[in-house]
Amino acid sequence: MKLRILLADDHEIVRRGLRSLLEKREGWEVCGEASDGREAIEKALELKPDVVIVDIGMPNLNGLDTTRQLLQLDPHFKVIVLTITDSDQVIREALDAGARGFVLKSDAARDLVAAVEALQNKRMFFTPRVNDLVLAGFLEKGHAVSRTEAPKLPTLTAREREITQLLAEGNSSKEVACLLNLSTKTVETHRSNIMRKLSFHSIRDLVVYAIKNNLIQIELPPPPPPKAPVGPAAL
Amino acid sequence: MTIRILLVDDHPIVRQGLKTLLEGRSGWEVIGEASDGAEAVEKAKELNPDVMVLDVTMPRMNGLEACRVLRRQAPRLEILFVTQHDSPQMMREAMDAGARGYVVKSNAARDLLAAVEAVSQHRVFTALNGREATGSN
Repeated sequence: MKLRILLADDHEIVRRGLRSLLEKREGWEVCGEASDGREAIEKALELKPDVVIVDIGMPNLNGLDTTRQLLQLDPHFKVIVLTITDSDQVIREALDAGARGFVLKSDAARDLVAAVEALQNKRMFFTPRVNDLVLAGFLEKGHAVSRTEAPKLPTLTAREREITQLLAEGNSSKEVACLLNLSTKTVETHRSNIMRKLSFHSIRDLVVYAIKNNLIQIELPPPPPPKAPVGPAAL
Repeated sequence: MTIRILLVDDHPIVRQGLKTLLEGRSGWEVIGEASDGAEAVEKAKELNPDVMVLDVTMPRMNGLEACRVLRRQAPRLEILFVTQHDSPQMMREAMDAGARGYVVKSNAARDLLAAVEAVSQHRVFTALNGREATGSN
């Protein structure tokens, strides 16, 4: 029987690359694709794949919240998170969300097949940095306060996180209401609760919070060129 | 028409996606790949491609710097940027650096083939999100 994989990434070109990589393996089949987290959840419920591969930085619903919601709906889903960064915070959130695999996008061509294979064999797959972090956390267990522990912020509910992401992506309350099948008034109430919980006064604060907490990701411009000019003589 | 293409992006999985798309066109051939601007400059010298598909943000040497170097080194090479940056400023900077085309990565599956075709015929092709693609000689 074939191993069925669902791919979720907002870039079609990345999905193409992943599909071509995965379908080289005999017995593996990409049974569906999704371009955001909400579509990934719909397709996962419909197609019941053996493995779901989700990008963290997707619009509408990011990969971490997609993982959380999928596992709440059905704890049997096996999710691999694809990410552009393996910062401590992202690793913690991915583990906390219930991902069984964690692969850097830059290493996907090398690691993704091994990650899917691991899940197929009921094991987990993490990058060496995740292993180091988990080990460090284990060794630190028992200390009164972990040295790397992040400052505690008020916890948002799953719905509040969804709404925060959509607002930070530039949607109005009315547009959020439409996307989530809620009334505008309900969204406005959630919005007020979010702002109050986080002690924010502007949408700008909310956008900064969403970036810092990986609800949305932004592409930074390339760094300025080096001081020494690069010319044909240097080639 | 035969078009020889060099692909430059630091993510192998993106290069793989671009390659499957481009090689679907009869006569188009991906003759090489590079993962940063410096490697792109070396490979362009070695392989002499017709078109280079180039990312902006890469380690060692970014795409804009590579483009400026290549403009001097290989004036006949046509350069098409395929990037995450959906920004008119970045597009202007890329065209000023000497590119012939600019496509946003999220739309690459839609725009890439038309863009490569245009730049290979020395025509300008630019497309940002939410705007019609534009081209000129």
